[in-house]
Amino acid sequence: MSRDTTANSGRTADGTAARRAENRAENTAEDTAERLHVAGLHAPTDAVLSVRDLSVRFNTENGVLHAVRGVDFELLPGKTLGIVGESGSGKSVTALAIMGLLPSTAEITGSVRLLGTELLGLSDKAMCKHRGNEIAMVFQDPLSSLTPVYTVGSQIIEALTVHNPTMSKQAKEARAVELLALVGIPSPRDRLKAFPHEFSGGMRQRVLTAMAIANNPRVLIADEPTTALDVTIQAQVLEVLHTAQEETGAALVMITHDLGVVAGMADDIMVMYAGKPVETGTVDDIYYTPRMPYTMGLLGAVPRVDAAEKISLIPIEGIPPNLIRTPTGCSFAPRCPLASDACLAAEPALRPVRASEKHGDEAHRAACIKTELLETEADVHEIFSAPSVPVSRFDAIPRHERKPVLELKDVKKHFPLQKGALIKRRIGTVRAVDGLSFDIREGECFSIVGESGCGKTTTLLEIMEFRPDQDGEVIIGGLSNKAAADGKARGAMRKELQMVFQDPTGALDPRFTVYEVLSEPLENLGLARPAIRKRIMELMELVGLPPVHVNRFPNQLSGGQRQRVGIARALAVNPKLVVLDEPVSALDVSVQAGVINLLDQLRAELGLSYLLVAHDLSVVRHISNRVAVMYLGKIVEIGDVDSVFDNPRHPYTRALLSAIPVPDPRLERTRERIILKGELPSPLDAPVGCNFASRCPVFAALPPAKQEKCLTVEPALEPAGAPRDQQFACFYPDGELDAELLVVHETS
Amino acid sequence: MLRYLTKRAITYVVMIFLTTSAGYLLAVSTLQPALLEQERIPRPTPEQVANSFRLKGLDPALSPWERYVDWLTGVLTRWDWGRSPDGAYINAEFGDRVLISTRLFLASIILTLIIGVALGVYTAARQYKAPDRVITSYSYLMYIVPAPIAYFLVQLGAISINETVGERIFFVTGTSTPGLEGDGWAQFGDMLAHYAVPTFAITIVGWGAYQIAQRQYLLDNVNADFVRTARAKGLTRNQAISRHALRVSFIPVAQSIAFTIPAIFAGGFFAEKIFAWHGIGSWSIDSIAQQDVNAATATLAYGSLIFAIGAILADLATALVDPRVRVQ
Repeated sequence: MSRDTTANSGRTADGTAARRAENRAENTAEDTAERLHVAGLHAPTDAVLSVRDLSVRFNTENGVLHAVRGVDFELLPGKTLGIVGESGSGKSVTALAIMGLLPSTAEITGSVRLLGTELLGLSDKAMCKHRGNEIAMVFQDPLSSLTPVYTVGSQIIEALTVHNPTMSKQAKEARAVELLALVGIPSPRDRLKAFPHEFSGGMRQRVLTAMAIANNPRVLIADEPTTALDVTIQAQVLEVLHTAQEETGAALVMITHDLGVVAGMADDIMVMYAGKPVETGTVDDIYYTPRMPYTMGLLGAVPRVDAAEKISLIPIEGIPPNLIRTPTGCSFAPRCPLASDACLAAEPALRPVRASEKHGDEAHRAACIKTELLETEADVHEIFSAPSVPVSRFDAIPRHERKPVLELKDVKKHFPLQKGALIKRRIGTVRAVDGLSFDIREGECFSIVGESGCGKTTTLLEIMEFRPDQDGEVIIGGLSNKAAADGKARGAMRKELQMVFQDPTGALDPRFTVYEVLSEPLENLGLARPAIRKRIMELMELVGLPPVHVNRFPNQLSGGQRQRVGIARALAVNPKLVVLDEPVSALDVSVQAGVINLLDQLRAELGLSYLLVAHDLSVVRHISNRVAVMYLGKIVEIGDVDSVFDNPRHPYTRALLSAIPVPDPRLERTRERIILKGELPSPLDAPVGCNFASRCPVFAALPPAKQEKCLTVEPALEPAGAPRDQQFACFYPDGELDAELLVVHETS
Repeated sequence: MLRYLTKRAITYVVMIFLTTSAGYLLAVSTLQPALLEQERIPRPTPEQVANSFRLKGLDPALSPWERYVDWLTGVLTRWDWGRSPDGAYINAEFGDRVLISTRLFLASIILTLIIGVALGVYTAARQYKAPDRVITSYSYLMYIVPAPIAYFLVQLGAISINETVGERIFFVTGTSTPGLEGDGWAQFGDMLAHYAVPTFAITIVGWGAYQIAQRQYLLDNVNADFVRTARAKGLTRNQAISRHALRVSFIPVAQSIAFTIPAIFAGGFFAEKIFAWHGIGSWSIDSIAQQDVNAATATLAYGSLIFAIGAILADLATALVDPRVRVQ
């Protein structure tokens, strides 16, 4: 504290005069802009969308919720602005306020100018002239965003009709076909008559994009457009947004919590926290020289799929503030490792970070009084005191010398597909899991990755099922399912293996206190009351929860804390193996980092093994030792995580890895990306030969003579080479990729 | 679509057959019309009773199964639903009864549906405003008030109107004035005067359920994501609601209609009794009191038929508004 003050006063003494001059220059520039803005003058090179001091309040039962507090930005034609922040930071509310789609109870102040026209205060009817015409929006959840009872064609045509009442029916239909083709929907003319339920999530998101760009908007807002989608589909949809932007020349506002998604697309970034922009700047400024501890923390919290070296993630402790109380100081101060008393004195305003340099750098602004401290290459790991990488006692022992805790031998799960109301006919088989064999050794984290529908969850269910009549053998800690005829054997298995579920809120009984949640498995073991009490306190400490929280109900805990309770419950009976089903996908980035670190630390301290199912390959790379890539019920590649991720041999693995966005703008801009055509085919028409042939970029480039083999013979898992622990199932692992499926973006 | 409906229709025909047969067997083994005959003066001898019943095809000496086979043969080959213990032919009475019930309820059902759904939409659009609070409270009140009491209140109201005016405008009971002379217009006026009170009473009691359901389902959809998408396209809030939310919210309402139509038709004996319209509902109650096997079975068969028609109408309505059920 005292040092800060001295530093500040020192600087003040030195640079008072210089600063004053600067301020004047700055003010004049701003004044001019402001006057032009108020006059509503608009030149073609000016911003298409300009937002000034936007602020949104909601009246709630608990008081006034100040959801957005002073958002400012200018959007130039053809540019992309990324708005980044955790849930509850006000990103979506900002977008809806701009679109005029907030409920009428919301109190909106400030100014939103679209092509020079003020939008705030317009009636619903007047606003409708702009919505869908000059400014359009793509929403987060494609599954619920289309009206189920109308064809997609009629919904697209509706968007055209609203703004072009004179357009002929044929012209509208032709335009709708053109739009569907643009967003990459095959045979668009026939698909016009299809209903939304006949489309997958990715396809629906394309339809929504087509609808949004129907009238060539000047501004397109995309609110988490890919959050609900698989990585390969995410890559396709991002590609569609890119094409849409190129075609229409629209400015794009991209709202996301995923720093990887915007790295390759955005020109500028605005980081929001507690309803306020806390740092703005060009994408390079934000990613390479962040000047606000929150931004630094966010960047450090994201695991990277391209990094082999293991460093701990940066957890940002605490939870975002309640916006019903206006923060007196910096809203991030309670979670900030650098916070001092000065931070609590007043809420810092956004100001240019390099006060000493002249124009050009003004775009990079941060709302932090310690910006200067962060100017020198400060190590974010030191600032946030990230834990050191934990080392497990098993790490030193070679893998083949460790005992296996779980073994799967040719496990299959086939579902018959039936038709008919009274008399069922079998019309096919869904091979959800088709001959899976792998093992997990002590102290090891094994991950299964793949798109949704590939059989990951069915595999977990088969392991948990543990019955003698299953197809294939499951051995857990030496117990085989073939010998588990009675409940006693299964009970013994449950002591070896426990599970942590995806949605921590759904997995905890809302009427149970934390104590009751944790005591249930222990009572089941027949422990005495004092022993249970002691064990629960141990568990609370183990997962980093304050002991007083035992009396809380789940709704009194944050998402990260709930997941910690879920982990504690799984650990209660001292299992050897913990099955983690998407353990962090429901959590915010900063909270996710804390849970991942905890899992890592528990593995090392307790010598646990994990079986992890996750769709986020960055998380998988960070935490796992070995990984299996699944496609249509089969493992297509398996091995040591570094071997598989650094040197993927199967074309599917290559495509999957290339689809993951990396939070590194320079790398993203030059990265070659394989965009897979189509989606996971229905397991019904699984082909005779290689499952992946229909979407394979290598297959597409092969001469027909060689293609024959892929279509008729099923490739088996082959070792990739003696020293490496890696197996893959492909005949042409080093084949040329089809050029049409490769995309590189050279952004300006 | 047609195939789908045909398939459903066949299922319902089987269902009607099963319920009717079960109903007949139950009735024939529990109802004892001979006991009622014993109360006549002069008291007939058991032989006389048995003889008279045998002539009417109600021979109590036969086993239930034999009587069932006889009855079923009659229905299937001659469309003869048998006779009552008093000798009346079911077929003759049935037609009149159905006509009276249909006349009593058809107009009210249509009005109930239209008013209920329309008020549901109106109140949903004005959630928590004064009209919504008034109408929705009224609907809940109608849930609580037993229907006969409401009918009586309407009757009393009509009578007091008649008294105030000093002339008989409304008839509170009966279907028509017996022996009325005059041209078509006079007949029509007489019919309206008889119609108005029961139709009004049944309608104002009935719409509450539809209003509450429609309001609830529409409110569930007013803030749906797809309504927001429609607004983002450039539709005003009201346009987006009426074009997108309304149709989706009508799907569950359409389904519920099916199961209220038979309830009103076959279970409307309160209304029939209070307004003295001798339709199917009162007949079913009376026939049980009269130990009349064939009449009880006939009303049961009619009830299942109406239920089937309602269910098919619901299927049809659902298929019309919801494309997702059209597959196959």
